Amino acid sequence: MKGIPAWLSDESGTAEMRRMLEGAQPFDIETLAARARSITLRRFGRTMSLYAPLYLSNHCPSGCAYCGFASDRTTPRRRLEEDEIGREIAAMKELGIQDILLLTGERTPQAGFDYLRRAVVIAARKMARVSVETFPMTVEEYRELAECGCTGVTIYQETYDPERYLELHRWGPKKDFLHRLETPERALEGGIKTVGIGALLGLSEPVEEALRLYRHARHLSKKFWRAGISVSFPRMRPEQGGWKPPFTVGDHQLARMILAFRIGLPDMDLALSTRERASFRDGMAGLAVTRMSTASRTTVGGYEEGGTGERGQFDISDERSAEAFCQALRERGIEPVFKNWDGAYNGPATLAPSAEGPKETAACP
Amino acid sequence: MDPMDLLHIGPRTFSSRLILGTGKFSSSKVMLEAVRASKAELVTVALRRFNREQLEDDLFGPLSELEGLTLMPNTSGASTAAEAVKAAHISRELSGSPFIKVEIHPNPHHLLPDPIETFEASRILASEGFLVMPYIAADPVLAKRLEEVGCASVMPLGAQIGSGQGLTTAGMLDIIIRESTVPVIVDAGLRAPSEAARAMEMGCSAVLVNSAIAAAADPAEMAAAFRDATAAGRSALRAGLMTAGNEAVPTSPLTSFLGESR
Repeated sequence: MKGIPAWLSDESGTAEMRRMLEGAQPFDIETLAARARSITLRRFGRTMSLYAPLYLSNHCPSGCAYCGFASDRTTPRRRLEEDEIGREIAAMKELGIQDILLLTGERTPQAGFDYLRRAVVIAARKMARVSVETFPMTVEEYRELAECGCTGVTIYQETYDPERYLELHRWGPKKDFLHRLETPERALEGGIKTVGIGALLGLSEPVEEALRLYRHARHLSKKFWRAGISVSFPRMRPEQGGWKPPFTVGDHQLARMILAFRIGLPDMDLALSTRERASFRDGMAGLAVTRMSTASRTTVGGYEEGGTGERGQFDISDERSAEAFCQALRERGIEPVFKNWDGAYNGPATLAPSAEGPKETAACP
Repeated sequence: MDPMDLLHIGPRTFSSRLILGTGKFSSSKVMLEAVRASKAELVTVALRRFNREQLEDDLFGPLSELEGLTLMPNTSGASTAAEAVKAAHISRELSGSPFIKVEIHPNPHHLLPDPIETFEASRILASEGFLVMPYIAADPVLAKRLEEVGCASVMPLGAQIGSGQGLTTAGMLDIIIRESTVPVIVDAGLRAPSEAARAMEMGCSAVLVNSAIAAAADPAEMAAAFRDATAAGRSALRAGLMTAGNEAVPTSPLTSFLGESR
C-alpha cells in the first residue's frame, strides 16, 4: 500500500520489546510481571483510574466483519436523544462515574458531528472528564469538540496490518487505512489532550500487531510531546453474527503483551475494559494496568433503569457492579479513583501556549 | 531538637520540615495513617482528587478534618499557566488555604515541570496574594526569577517524580540553596529516608515525599522513618558538619620555603 509511514515498520529500538512479546529468555512471564509491578507501583502508586462507556448510537454505515453494529447486521438501530443522554449521564453519576467515554459508530446522518458535539456539551456539564470513541474527524472538528470540554479521543486502528485491514473493512468510510491511522494526529493537532490507541487482538498475528502498536505509541509521543497517550488491549469477543477471529490471543499472551508494554512504555496509561473477565482484570490491576472501565453497558444507553436487555456491540465478561468491582480492587490494596481530573483543565491544548500569554479558553457555544 | 527552629513560609510557621503528598495511596485510611505518623503539618492534595460527589475516593474531605494540618492544594493536571491559575482559584475557593503548589507538566508521561508556564502562573498568583510554592526543575536561575516575583518558596526536584532515584540534582540544589532567600524544598525523587536526611544536611528547608511512602509495604512506618530522618538531617546541619576530606598529610612540610618569620 502506498503512503504507509516508515515508523510503522521501524525496527530500531524494538529488539527487546520483540523478545519480551515472544517470551524469549530471559523474559519469562514471572520476570516480566515482577518488573512491571515495580514500575507501576513507583510511577502510578496503588491507584486505578476508572471510566465508563456510554454508547450514544449504533447507527453505522460500515462493514467491519467483526462488529455487532456493522450495517449488514439485523441489530435494531437507535440513538439516544438529548433528554435520554442527560438521564443516562445522571444514572452514571449515581454509580460514581466522573470520567465518561462517549461512543458512536461511523459517521451517519443520525449520529454525525453536530449530534456528537451536543452530547459532549451535555456530558461536560456533569462529568469531570469527557472522551469520545467515534468516527474519525477533521482537525477543525476536533478543535470544536475540545472547546466544548472533550479532552480525550480513543481510536483503535483495529489492525495495523494494511492488507488484513482492507479485507476486514468490507465497505464504508472506514476502508481507508491511512485516514484512520492518521486520526490520533488530527485529534492532537485539534487540541485534544489525550489519545487512546489499540488494536483488536485476534485480527492479525499478535506479536507483529503488538510491535506496530508499540511503534505507534512511540511515534505519537515523539511527534506530540504534550500528548497523553494511553494504550488499550481489546481482545476479540463473541459478538452478534458469530464471526470467528483468525488468531486466538490466550490469557498468557495477552498478559505478556500488557506487561511488556508497561516495561517498554513505563509512564503511559494502559487500559483494560470489561471485555476481560473479572479474575484477569483483578490480576492485571496491580501489575501493569492503570485505567479500567467499570459497570459497562455496550448497548445504546442502558444505565438508566439498569439495562435494556438488548445485545450490545460485543458481550462483556466482567459484569460486576461498580461497587463490587471497587471492593475487589480495595481487597487487593488498590484504591479505585473515580475522579482523577478536573474541569479546570478542560480547555483545548495549544501548540505554544505562552506565545500570546495565558488566556481564558473560549466558552463553548 | 530546638523547638524554636521553625520553618517559615511567608507569614506561616511550621515545626515539621516534612511535607507529604497524598496521592498514590491504597486508600484514604492508609494515607491518613501515614500523615499522622509523619507528624507533617503541611500536606499537598491535587485539585483533581477533590471529589465532593463520591466521598470514597475524595482526599480533601478526610484531610481537612485532621487537626493541626495545613492543606496546600496543587495544580497537577494543568498543562498551561492559564489552567493552573484557574485551578488555583477553584482550590482556594474549596479549601480556604492561602497556599498553592504550582505544578504544570505539559507532558503527562514524565511529568517534568514547564519552566515558562510555571513562571507565568507563579507571577500572577503571587501578585494575587497566594503563598506560591512552585515545583520546578533544579534550575538556579529559574529559582531566583521565581523568588523575584514573590514566590513563598521554591520546590526543585531531586529526581524525576516517582523515580526513586534520590538527589540526582545535588549539584544544582547546592547552588539554589546557597543563593535563595526563600525556603528551598526538595520535591520529588526521594526513595529512602537517608536521602531526606542528606537533603536537610545540604541545607534544604524541608522535603516533600509521596511515592516513597505510598509505595512502601508499611506506609505509616515509612512516614515515621522520613519524619525522623528529616529531623536528624536538620539537626546535623545546625550542629555543623565537619568537613569531609581525604587529603594526605605530607611528611615534608610544603611551606618550609617560607622561613620562620611571619
